[in-house]
Amino acid sequence: MTKDNVQGAGEEEQQAQSKKALKKQQKEAEKAAKKAEKQAKLAAEQQEADEDDFAKDRYGICPMVQSQQKLDRALVRVQDLTPEKAEQQIWVRARIHTSRAKGKQCFLVLRHQQFTVQALLAVGDRASKQMVKFAANLTKESIIDVEAVVKKVEQKIESCSQQDVELHVERIFVISQSEARLPLQLEDAVRPEGEGDEEGRATVNQDTRLDNRVIDLRTTTSQAIFRLQSGVCQLFRDTLINKGFVEIQTPKIISAASEGGANVFTVSYFKTSAYLAQSPQLYKQMCICADFDKVFCVGPVFRAEDSNTHRHLTEFVGLDIEMAFNYHYHEVIDSITDTMVQIFKGLRDRFQTEIQMVNKQYPSEPFKFLEPTLRLEYKEAVAMLKAAGVEMGDEEDLSTPNEKLLGRLVKDKYDTDFYVLDKYPLAVRPFYTMPDPNNPKYSNSYDMFMRGEEILSGAQRVHDAQLLTERAMHHGIDLEKIKAYIDSFRYGAPPHAGGGIGLERVTMLYLGLHNVRQTSMFPRDPKRLTP
Amino acid sequence: MCQIGSGVSKMALRELSSLEKFLGLKKPNKYSTQGGKKVPVLQNNNGPSLIGLVTIASHLVREAKRPELLGDSAERRAVVQQWLEHRVTRLDNCSKEEVKVILKDLNQYLEDKVYLAGNVFTLADILMYYGIHHIVVELAVQEKERYLNITRWFDHIQHYPGIRHHLPPVVVLRNRVYPSGHY
Repeated sequence: MTKDNVQGAGEEEQQAQSKKALKKQQKEAEKAAKKAEKQAKLAAEQQEADEDDFAKDRYGICPMVQSQQKLDRALVRVQDLTPEKAEQQIWVRARIHTSRAKGKQCFLVLRHQQFTVQALLAVGDRASKQMVKFAANLTKESIIDVEAVVKKVEQKIESCSQQDVELHVERIFVISQSEARLPLQLEDAVRPEGEGDEEGRATVNQDTRLDNRVIDLRTTTSQAIFRLQSGVCQLFRDTLINKGFVEIQTPKIISAASEGGANVFTVSYFKTSAYLAQSPQLYKQMCICADFDKVFCVGPVFRAEDSNTHRHLTEFVGLDIEMAFNYHYHEVIDSITDTMVQIFKGLRDRFQTEIQMVNKQYPSEPFKFLEPTLRLEYKEAVAMLKAAGVEMGDEEDLSTPNEKLLGRLVKDKYDTDFYVLDKYPLAVRPFYTMPDPNNPKYSNSYDMFMRGEEILSGAQRVHDAQLLTERAMHHGIDLEKIKAYIDSFRYGAPPHAGGGIGLERVTMLYLGLHNVRQTSMFPRDPKRLTP
Repeated sequence: MCQIGSGVSKMALRELSSLEKFLGLKKPNKYSTQGGKKVPVLQNNNGPSLIGLVTIASHLVREAKRPELLGDSAERRAVVQQWLEHRVTRLDNCSKEEVKVILKDLNQYLEDKVYLAGNVFTLADILMYYGIHHIVVELAVQEKERYLNITRWFDHIQHYPGIRHHLPPVVVLRNRVYPSGHY
């Protein structure tokens, strides 16, 4: 083929192309003209309609609320809409959960937090055709103010939380408009796994949910989870304060790693570097040395472990306890287990609605516990596992599958989801763990388990500077870096023990959920830094 | 023709000697192996040599005058043959992915049976037990519970007098520890 030929072909192609482009342009112009025409017609119609719309003051889009006026208007919460309010004229602010227009009527489901109510607009002497049309065209998740009369209904409305009443809307104003396309549908996000498979309905996978966390948090399940989680924190605080504990705040930017140097985040700190705290361990111990006796601390904890599992986060909320005791560290175990039992009881008694809401999407058996809490020794646990056919050494650490199996064996034997495992082998615990006086291979340390997964790790700490130095050297720790810590035990230190609990794990395991990201509002893991 | 996967080939000879002991044969036979797959071979004094696990095993049963172990009716004989064939063709050559399917099917089959051939003990139980041992020994407690019927049958056979011999016992829990249907 010659060069000319190639060029010729090229030109031809170009011509063909320009012809095509011309046609396209023409078409587009026609389209635009048509569109403009249509719009003009629509506008004219709208104007015409507006002119003879008797209800045009009863609906519309409110100007942005910039705090121009203080309206003397009481807004009733959706959850308070009960038959006692029947025939009353009230104002409600809520989101549009769903809307469905049917001829001259429009049904809305209004939602506020986890509560929903049905609202009805019908063409009549209070609402015009245009008003109903306006309501039907409102986008899902928009926030509206509605004036309505509460009416009792004859048949219960199964799909709403307020089943005995509905609202007959008289005015409807948009406070904040949502974009038409939502990144995920709320109904899809609360559908139990497996259900709806036959009907070909979608469920939303976890990553999509977390990417659009703000919307996902609006679901009834999320609302219930995080209300219950707030309850865990509150019960923890209340119980401990009643026991005479003092809440402390500790720094999260620290100069040395507390539990092995491998899994800490390093941050640049002016001309040097620092670490993000893996636990408030050293600080709560220093508070004990400073005569605070019983302290606790609620705050973020950081772990730079690159593990992508269902129960690891790189930042989580730690509930930490440290307490001086008189003669035996079991005094501390008893105090901590009692605190946990108080939390379980409080959740069971005060958060039943939330528990049931989560159960709807994620069914699980109710959480069981004993009073007093079951305490097993590590040796007994190893014996139970061996009897079940597991091969492991006496001083070997528990692997995750063995941990879970032990949980099942304990549940079968004692019927409890919560227990303490005492006297861990010394070799698998951090340097500040007090050795067992009767058997130097074991230690005065313990873990607590919920549904077979670890939620708390604790121990009696070494409060003697001499022994502490020995243990640190045995673990190959640079004494220079923990000098301040060791020195705090030189001027009289009471015997003490403590432990740290992960808030997200407690919530997850109490509710029988399967992933810790479900109980972290904005989870952080090796692969997720946003939102 | 019988084939034995190379991974279990060593076991085949020990399996035959355990079978001899179970059958109460006084004089132990001498075996050799043949080919890359190490198929067991029995030199027979009275005729041509016998080749293959199932062939030799059936021969030993006849020699011990225990023909009922091969089935006491035409129908049962067929079922026994079917499981013996299943053992050497499916079980001995199966890949990791196939194991699950085999366990699932066998579990379902054993739901209403004490032994593989119904309510009588046969050679099929012995050879299936020997052949599946290395799989069951690796199962976690939760899996043993999932394949509940296999576990029951397996535990029964391993405690059947004179069967286990060269194989280590497998621990079986008598009570269920996992909530049913929660896997």
